[in-house]
Amino acid sequence: MSGTGPGMGARPARHDTGGTGPPGGTGPPGGTGPPGGTGPPGGADVAAITDDLRAFLAAATGRDELLRIPPAAALFGTAVGLDSLTGTLLLREIQRRLGVDVAGEDLNMDSLATLGTLAEFVAQRIKPGGSP
Amino acid sequence: MTRESPAGEGTVKCVVWDIDNTLLTGIYLEAGDQPPGADPVLTTVLAELGERGILHALASKNPPEAAAHTARVTGWRFAAAECGWGRKSDALARIAATLGIGVDALAFVDDDPFERAEVGFALPGVLVLSPEDAAEAPGWPEFSPPVITPEARRRAEMYAERQRRQAAERSFGGTKEEFLETVGTRVTIAAATAADVPRLHELAARTRQFNSVAGQPPATGAGPAAGMTQDWFRGLLAAGDCDVATVRLRDAFGDDGLVGACVVMREAGIWTVPLLMMSCRAMGRGVIDALLAWLVRQAARAGARRLRIPCVANTRNVPLRLALAAAGFRVPEAAGTAGQGTAGQGTAGQGTAGRGPEGGEAGGGNATSGQVPAVFERDVGTALPVLPGWVEAPGEQGGDAA
Repeated sequence: MSGTGPGMGARPARHDTGGTGPPGGTGPPGGTGPPGGTGPPGGADVAAITDDLRAFLAAATGRDELLRIPPAAALFGTAVGLDSLTGTLLLREIQRRLGVDVAGEDLNMDSLATLGTLAEFVAQRIKPGGSP
Repeated sequence: MTRESPAGEGTVKCVVWDIDNTLLTGIYLEAGDQPPGADPVLTTVLAELGERGILHALASKNPPEAAAHTARVTGWRFAAAECGWGRKSDALARIAATLGIGVDALAFVDDDPFERAEVGFALPGVLVLSPEDAAEAPGWPEFSPPVITPEARRRAEMYAERQRRQAAERSFGGTKEEFLETVGTRVTIAAATAADVPRLHELAARTRQFNSVAGQPPATGAGPAAGMTQDWFRGLLAAGDCDVATVRLRDAFGDDGLVGACVVMREAGIWTVPLLMMSCRAMGRGVIDALLAWLVRQAARAGARRLRIPCVANTRNVPLRLALAAAGFRVPEAAGTAGQGTAGQGTAGQGTAGRGPEGGEAGGGNATSGQVPAVFERDVGTALPVLPGWVEAPGEQGGDAA
């Protein structure tokens, strides 16, 4: 299983040309993967990532109520109603802030089944030290 | 100059212009009460490219009044304007996001070699030009769309409508579906006619984010295709073994015309869609979801068991993959194997087509590397998707537009 998709090799964060770098900036509360953090080995804290994803979703859709959805919420279902536009915004934000290329690693986007499955998927791929 | 960056005809969708000593014959802030006038040569370039459906935008280290002044003296309505003192590459990225197009569909014109170098370095896909280059741009293939359709001529207007629609959506309280309903969204699916051929070809040439074949002509009964030319589409219309369906979109803000299309081949039990494409302008407006839902319903009504959509997955058409996932389509070989994605070494596409990943080395950093052939499929026998009431389509209640 490769850690790098085509979008994040030589030119990470294409739209973020300023090289402002990963977590530590103006990220959502409870930033993930602190360097030398205390998360489980090989992964980051799923609960913190779930909160990050809620914040990305609320920003992508402009709907603050998504800050309170449970991990079991289906992303493509009626509760969240993710479509190609909001989904693209969400994946872009995950890549930019957390350094994980979901689209590059999951052809079928099965990881987007629920908020919880997406958080697990991202957590497993965040490199220790939180770098992209 | 770096004009070899993007290749191909009509690849530039928007030109981003500097103001001082580029579109204006002087420096706005240094001119006192008499701001400089418009550069006459570049003003004609604006008009000439605009006629071809190419958009214009401004990126300037100036106060916003400079953009208003430039619009006045050039007589041009710019689709976006970024005035400020940040990096121009950031301004270009924001303009691309505002217009919903890829950064590599932009050209950038600036008299300042430093600004050109900054943009060229940060955004290698952008075609970077000096004002002298820009004066000749109308003769270059990147600025010469092979056909100019009514949709292209109205493009600047449609982007203005789009901005009004987005502002309305931001201030709207309800869900996306409620918004689409409220603004009178109307999606019309119909069989393609000969009159649609130029626009079909244009969609095939221009769409990236919603293009199932990533610009590579699919194999169909219409014979080998050197490209998805107008003749190729005419052949499809004449062929007995496939249908071409078009999708039109309008709402209270304006009429976007023909925004999408698909080719459908019907075999016993299995329907295949060798080509599916949609303008990114229609993104987020329920169009691709309506088209996929209609295809599933049509296939089911005809007694088919499965609907297959062969795709070339890459980093550009992620929005299409999201729509396919949302509509219940999966690549069976890749099921449960998250980790095999479009990075080029995934196994998903092997054996699906004779075409291997092109330049798919991971880490290549090129947005078009990693072309992974993959067939998305779903059962159509059960749990038929619902079609919103604002979709008019053959076989649907209130439809039969064809």
